[in-house]
Amino acid sequence: MKSPSFGYVAPASTADVVDALTTGSAAPGGAVVLAGGQSLLVELHHRRVRPALVVDLGRVGDLGGLAVAGGELHVGALARHRDAERPGAAPGPLGRLLPRVAEHVAHPPVRARGTIAGSLAWGHPAAEWGAVAVALDARVDLRGAGGGRSVAAADWFRGPHRTARRPDELVTALRLPLPPAGAGVGFVEHRRTAASYAGVAVVAVLELEGPVVTSARLGVVGAADRPERAAAAEGFLRGAEAGEAAFARAGELAARDADPVDEPHQPADHRRHLVGVLVRRALGRALADRRSTDEEEDA
Amino acid sequence: MSASTAFQPTRREDVRLLTGTGRYVADLAVDGCLEAAFVRSRLAHGRVRRVDAAPARAVASVVPALAAAALPGRFVVPPFGQPGVAEGRDWEVLAGERVRHVGQPLAVVLAADRYAAEDGADAVVVDVDPLPALVGPQAAAASDVQLFDGLGNVVVEQDHGEPVPQEVWAAAHVVVEATYTQQLLAPVPMESRAVLAAPDGAGGLRVWCSHQAPHRLRDNLGQALRLPPDRVRVTVPDAGGAFGSKSATFPEYLAVALLALRLGRPVRWVEDRAEAFSAHTHGRGQRQRVRLAADRDGRFLALDLDVLADLGAYPHVGVVVPTQTALMATGAYATGHVHARVRAVVTTTAPTAPYRGAGRPEAAYAVERTVEALARRLGADPVELRRRNFIAPERFPHTTPTGRTYDSGDYARALDVAVDALELDRWRTERARRRAEPGARPLGIGFCSYVERTGGDGPLLLQENGSVEALADGSFLARCGTSATGQGHETAFAQVVADALGVDTALVRAVDGDTGEVPHGVGSFASRSMQMGGAALHLAARELVDLARQRAVAWAAAAGPPVPAGSATWDAGRLLLPGGRWIGTGELVTATGELRADHVFRQEAAFPFGCYGAVVEVDPDTGEVEVLRLVAVDDYGTVVHPVITRGQTVGSLVQGLGQALYEEVPHDGDGVPLLAEGLFDYLLPTASEVPPFVLRETRTPNPSNPLGAKGAGEAGCIGVPPAVVNAVADALQLDDPDLLQMPLTPARVWRAARAAGAAS
Repeated sequence: MKSPSFGYVAPASTADVVDALTTGSAAPGGAVVLAGGQSLLVELHHRRVRPALVVDLGRVGDLGGLAVAGGELHVGALARHRDAERPGAAPGPLGRLLPRVAEHVAHPPVRARGTIAGSLAWGHPAAEWGAVAVALDARVDLRGAGGGRSVAAADWFRGPHRTARRPDELVTALRLPLPPAGAGVGFVEHRRTAASYAGVAVVAVLELEGPVVTSARLGVVGAADRPERAAAAEGFLRGAEAGEAAFARAGELAARDADPVDEPHQPADHRRHLVGVLVRRALGRALADRRSTDEEEDA
Repeated sequence: MSASTAFQPTRREDVRLLTGTGRYVADLAVDGCLEAAFVRSRLAHGRVRRVDAAPARAVASVVPALAAAALPGRFVVPPFGQPGVAEGRDWEVLAGERVRHVGQPLAVVLAADRYAAEDGADAVVVDVDPLPALVGPQAAAASDVQLFDGLGNVVVEQDHGEPVPQEVWAAAHVVVEATYTQQLLAPVPMESRAVLAAPDGAGGLRVWCSHQAPHRLRDNLGQALRLPPDRVRVTVPDAGGAFGSKSATFPEYLAVALLALRLGRPVRWVEDRAEAFSAHTHGRGQRQRVRLAADRDGRFLALDLDVLADLGAYPHVGVVVPTQTALMATGAYATGHVHARVRAVVTTTAPTAPYRGAGRPEAAYAVERTVEALARRLGADPVELRRRNFIAPERFPHTTPTGRTYDSGDYARALDVAVDALELDRWRTERARRRAEPGARPLGIGFCSYVERTGGDGPLLLQENGSVEALADGSFLARCGTSATGQGHETAFAQVVADALGVDTALVRAVDGDTGEVPHGVGSFASRSMQMGGAALHLAARELVDLARQRAVAWAAAAGPPVPAGSATWDAGRLLLPGGRWIGTGELVTATGELRADHVFRQEAAFPFGCYGAVVEVDPDTGEVEVLRLVAVDDYGTVVHPVITRGQTVGSLVQGLGQALYEEVPHDGDGVPLLAEGLFDYLLPTASEVPPFVLRETRTPNPSNPLGAKGAGEAGCIGVPPAVVNAVADALQLDDPDLLQMPLTPARVWRAARAAGAAS
């Protein structure tokens, strides 16, 4: 578990990072980006990646932090999981959702170093941020040799550890649209220990008019080889009366549409069942979240 | 912070261990030391066509890399265990003809640092023709494929106790049958295996190794390298845990020692976590079939246990484990007929070895799960059923049908304390409430009454060496044949000796794990260090007092007016003589020379016992199990150091939870361990998973031990798994015990809940 030798640069600007990636990606082994290092270093030590060049973002000054602008939360390439765990990282429903998600990411030392954008770029199929990104229709901003572009979360994930990123591109930010102030948010995860990957995790964002659902967003990891929306369940919920019966039906639809991967201690049939249970529970939490914020406003 | 309120460590080891100043094998600074990396088989089973180590030299290696062809003829791991078992089943240090598990060493590369050594290992060319994998003992026992040509895969066949007569089964009111799997576990000490060997400049070898039995390692290395034992010195520096997995003389150790001698240079190998998951030994690995018969009143008539044990690729230290299971099949009960059959089988996964509990967790699980299954069948209270069947306290010493002689015990008392500490009535009320309430999460209660065996078995393990020496500065040096791998021997042994001498513990220094300091010793396993080593030190200290009294009389005569024989009395390190004269031990040493007592303590195994109780809540929709409460009642005999003993209980309890709920080394059909993500795949319980627990003790002193001590250290691994799994079975009201197999993954519990009709 010692890495093979590799080239290393730590550029001071995004433009220089892109230059390094462009040059490095042409060499055998290619170039990789080092942000928090919580996945990359493990891969290096296992010698599962043998890059020609490691491009360290640590000296680039303007990639960190969370900032709200234009109805979006801007998550810079060096924003750590820990940044999202702090209360008040975002306003309104997103501000309530982020800490609940972040506390499920690995354990505190990993959260202190690992980055949210890095998680998106690494594309682990069980990563919690994938569920958030697809649920909120986030956009991934990239900068490459040919300039900048932005990719919708729905188009970002191509399979385990495969994304829309080109080898010369740097993920500069993730942009999360803020749900409306009245939305309820819920997050539920099934995992075997507090430090293990999610078997299934569900983000639910619910908007209501009176008792009727006007919008339901369900981001799910563990239902497929990549994060996905539970589209049929969302469609069913629009116009339905929020409550246990509708949520149970939504869960059934999500489970029906799931195409989970078999793993040694996580067989596909159990995973499919969990998708149904967790969608139901996440919706229940979103409804409770919405009601508790109503009460706060009343008070 | 003033000195008086400064942190006072409970254990003297802890200041260095907790401040990062401990020195493990990997920390030893040795000039010119080469680091080793092993090229390992990626196939579970195959014929070795070619291992070309030459390319490694071009990449990185500072000396030629070695494959099997470069080793002395028949360079194999010295056999262990029953005679004949290893015959025809050589465990080659580097596989030259056949590989039998993923991770088996094929070649070794040495370089100035580990990075370069791994670069070299990457360059070695390996060509192995695949042979069929034999995964699990059932498949291997049934296969025509012979792992060792000309020999069957079933290596050991034993019977313990008399077979149960057919008429006993036929006449029984009820017979419960169950099949259990003891999954393969990875021992995962914080420090993996590590060894450093250096020529001593006089043709011999200095070896530092994270090891439980340095004397055996010394003898094995000497034998393999054709060195007299006194030319090999093995020292165990600070060590980060072992749990039974560091008692063998591994192929890697032999390779490193040979290379150090050949090259005349120090060579070190530090196993990394990824290697450990396939190349280090596994624990457990049994398929068990149990039959338990009872009469109308629930009295146990007969128990039959059939064990099919997985030895992994090479029958070595793991051979003793299923035997231990069979010997302990009687458990805590006065069952009239008990019979256990053992078949132990070689397979194409890593060799198995003792792992914390080593055969006793397997036995307790087989008995205690079946006892609760019987209670359910009879509609009886599992607590009452146990009370009715315990061996009564007045029947000790008690020889069981499987041939164990239990020294002492009060099993009903341990159960009573557990019932009390668990607040059983309260939880039973809560369980009834939930069973009546639709949609309430099921709650279950389970117990395990266990009997443990500590100290050791067999003529080689029934003794331990201790010596106590008075030094000229007035302090005392205690030497012991045990080997600490984190248990706190420096603290506990100093206390034993200080107590026996009546001196301050600060005056006593204790060393073990060094064949240079202690020429004879057995080691630390089977929870034997205090029971055997502590007792040896206690007796040596008492003998030192007698010796000092005699010496003081002789000194008095030489230095002044003679005093009567026997007139010197010991007073906390001083010898008081008639007429108000006295001399301290330090001065006595200065005046008269070495003052030291050696004691070899011999004792049969001891049988600690206890009772564990668990309350769990099950989410039948997901299969998640939450342990709401855990109670451990242990009887370790007289406890010498309560804080250290408590630490042993807690640690083993958490490892027991690991086996019950989380841990397993799964293999695919080709025999490849499915642990590519290491500790993300092999789930250890962490602080987040530790449930609320209560520890209680009963104390039934060991009648044949001068300290009254029995072993403490493995009980939690024995008591927790049956208690927790019984509680889950109770929560789901399962009639079929086979529906729950460890680890209780959510998927397994969900399936069991569905089978029982408790889930959606």
